[in-house]
Amino acid sequence: RLGIIFAIHHLIPLSIAGVWPFLCSYVLCQLDFWRGPGGQDVPIDVQVPFASLQAVKIFLESNCIRYSILIDDLQVSSLVDEEQTQMIRQHFMPRSVETFNYASYHTLDEIYDFMDLLVAANPNLVSKIQIGNSYEGRPIYVLKFSTGGTKRPAIWLDTGIHSREWITQASGVWFAKKIVDSYGKDPSLTSILDNLDIFLEIVTNPDGFAFTHTTNRMWRKTKSVNAGSACIGVDPNRNWDAGFGGDGASSNPCSETYHGPYANSEREVKAIVDFVKSHGNIKAFISIHSYTQLLLYPYGYTSTRAADYQELDNIAKAAVAALSSLYGTQYRYGSIITTIYQANGGTIDWTYNQGIKYSFTFELRDTGRYGFLLPANQIIPTAKETWLALMTIMEYTRDHPY
Amino acid sequence: MQRQSEARLGPLLLLLLLPLAWGKGPSPPRAAEELQVSNRLAGQAARVALHYLNYRLGSPSALRALGQVRKATLKTIPGIGHKYYLQFTTEDYKSSLNVGTCLATVFYLKRKPRPAVNINCTYTKDQKQIREDDYSFYKKMRQQTKPIIGNDIPDSYGNIEPALEPAWALAVAGSSYLMWEKSTENLGYFMAQVKNVKQWITKDDSIDFDYSVVLHEIPTQEMISCHLRVIWTPGHPLKVKYFCLSENQWSESEEGSGTESGSTNGIFNEKEAHF
Repeated sequence: RLGIIFAIHHLIPLSIAGVWPFLCSYVLCQLDFWRGPGGQDVPIDVQVPFASLQAVKIFLESNCIRYSILIDDLQVSSLVDEEQTQMIRQHFMPRSVETFNYASYHTLDEIYDFMDLLVAANPNLVSKIQIGNSYEGRPIYVLKFSTGGTKRPAIWLDTGIHSREWITQASGVWFAKKIVDSYGKDPSLTSILDNLDIFLEIVTNPDGFAFTHTTNRMWRKTKSVNAGSACIGVDPNRNWDAGFGGDGASSNPCSETYHGPYANSEREVKAIVDFVKSHGNIKAFISIHSYTQLLLYPYGYTSTRAADYQELDNIAKAAVAALSSLYGTQYRYGSIITTIYQANGGTIDWTYNQGIKYSFTFELRDTGRYGFLLPANQIIPTAKETWLALMTIMEYTRDHPY
Repeated sequence: MQRQSEARLGPLLLLLLLPLAWGKGPSPPRAAEELQVSNRLAGQAARVALHYLNYRLGSPSALRALGQVRKATLKTIPGIGHKYYLQFTTEDYKSSLNVGTCLATVFYLKRKPRPAVNINCTYTKDQKQIREDDYSFYKKMRQQTKPIIGNDIPDSYGNIEPALEPAWALAVAGSSYLMWEKSTENLGYFMAQVKNVKQWITKDDSIDFDYSVVLHEIPTQEMISCHLRVIWTPGHPLKVKYFCLSENQWSESEEGSGTESGSTNGIFNEKEAHF
């Protein structure tokens, strides 16, 4: 990471909206905005690569935007730089969940820091549970939102099981904040949390996610080593014990839908399986993917209709209508096998067969223009509209105990 | 065609290639089955029809994406293949605004390598504006003394540099040819990313680009790398050569009037309805 940190002051006369597209085309968007954009008078700190220095300076000067240079030579290779790095980290780590930038994509470290900030800011509502470790040894965390009780009926949400689906982890972060902001303010969410707990796993596949940042943006699977093969990784959404190993998955380790040597071989999957079984009182399970704008219910491994097919279809219909009401975004809905394709060993087929009736999978925006590379300016709109669908499902779960 | 269908479809035409009546009318042949609009094979077939359309139009400014499937019927012709009859809305690729409705047939033949497509669409975008946008991109590229180059479009965060957007759109048009060719009833494609673009400065009238693209294949979820050479002059058919890493040789588009494997019968502006 080489470049210069500019602190940009006084964005009059340009609005922040006017300057961001320009800056985003020159700077690495995920690194900047560690402070702001918080409004016209709040300075924004931006890292500018050396190659873009001239252009950015010219742009700022010709638009009468005052700036100062915070760090004039950002490097990461020597001891001196360690100190620099520390200083930067301290300077730039969001001090609170209020200054965290929900409208940009974040790294694994940033999301893990966010979780700690969220818990620290809401200790009576949120706690962090470690449910296991990934293949490469990273901790796997779940946020628990609870107003008390003992093993209340619960709703489970997970994002990021397929690491390249970045809109999902980003939405998960937004959902976490939304929950704490809504408790005590939104009557419906308040009543949900007064009766049920919510578990949210934001980075369900941390090894894969780290890999999408460092090496291969299109990585989908886990990072486990496959015996006897040079190919790495198992599709965590084919590794569950529901129709495991059938046609809707691949037995080839090099394939993106490789099911793995046996069900629950993946630590990331086993961690959830163990959690769900030991909790024993989860009533709704929602696993979030992207893209193609779909809301799906079981089954994926068989064309036999689920016993609760009609009820699930009705819920999906209502959830999709709620989602669409915000910006008109169109979703299709139906069972996995009729709406997307046959998939064996999928998450919600297993959870449904465990007795978690309200099991759903989302495929978020978009429908193929950007696909996995959804622009950051769609993070908040996507999260907001999806939230309406989630609320529909959660309200229904609250109102239909079983 | 029946009055009811005409009213519903607006200024859509008697040029319809569909032997089946939708709505009231003679009942369809016994081997036909109406599909739910949410059916994945219907959506997939509609996308194939649009790949074909985008390739044949060869216009970066007129690219269309699938809106919603409004009606879908599947006819099984034993020993020959499956034919889909589709009605769907379309959106402008860049703006996502609705730009009209299409009727299409997509015929997956057992013995031919690629689906046969017939497609007819209404078009609500201003044709003059499209021609101007195409021409202005063309002119700009012709005026380059240094070749345009770029990587990772969009980048990991979904950003596309404005200067590279038309080159990206041309990659979509070129990839549409390859995605049409590769599509089967069960295998569908999206263009996930342009890994690399490099312009060839030529002395002739066309603009000439080399692309490395990554396609996202459904339902396998594989990311397929392909090289594309796209040669374009506005108003002329796109010339596309491609080579995907799983294949052994280059494939290329045929020039000409397009009686092979499909036809488009023209695109009609919504304002000019002729019966």
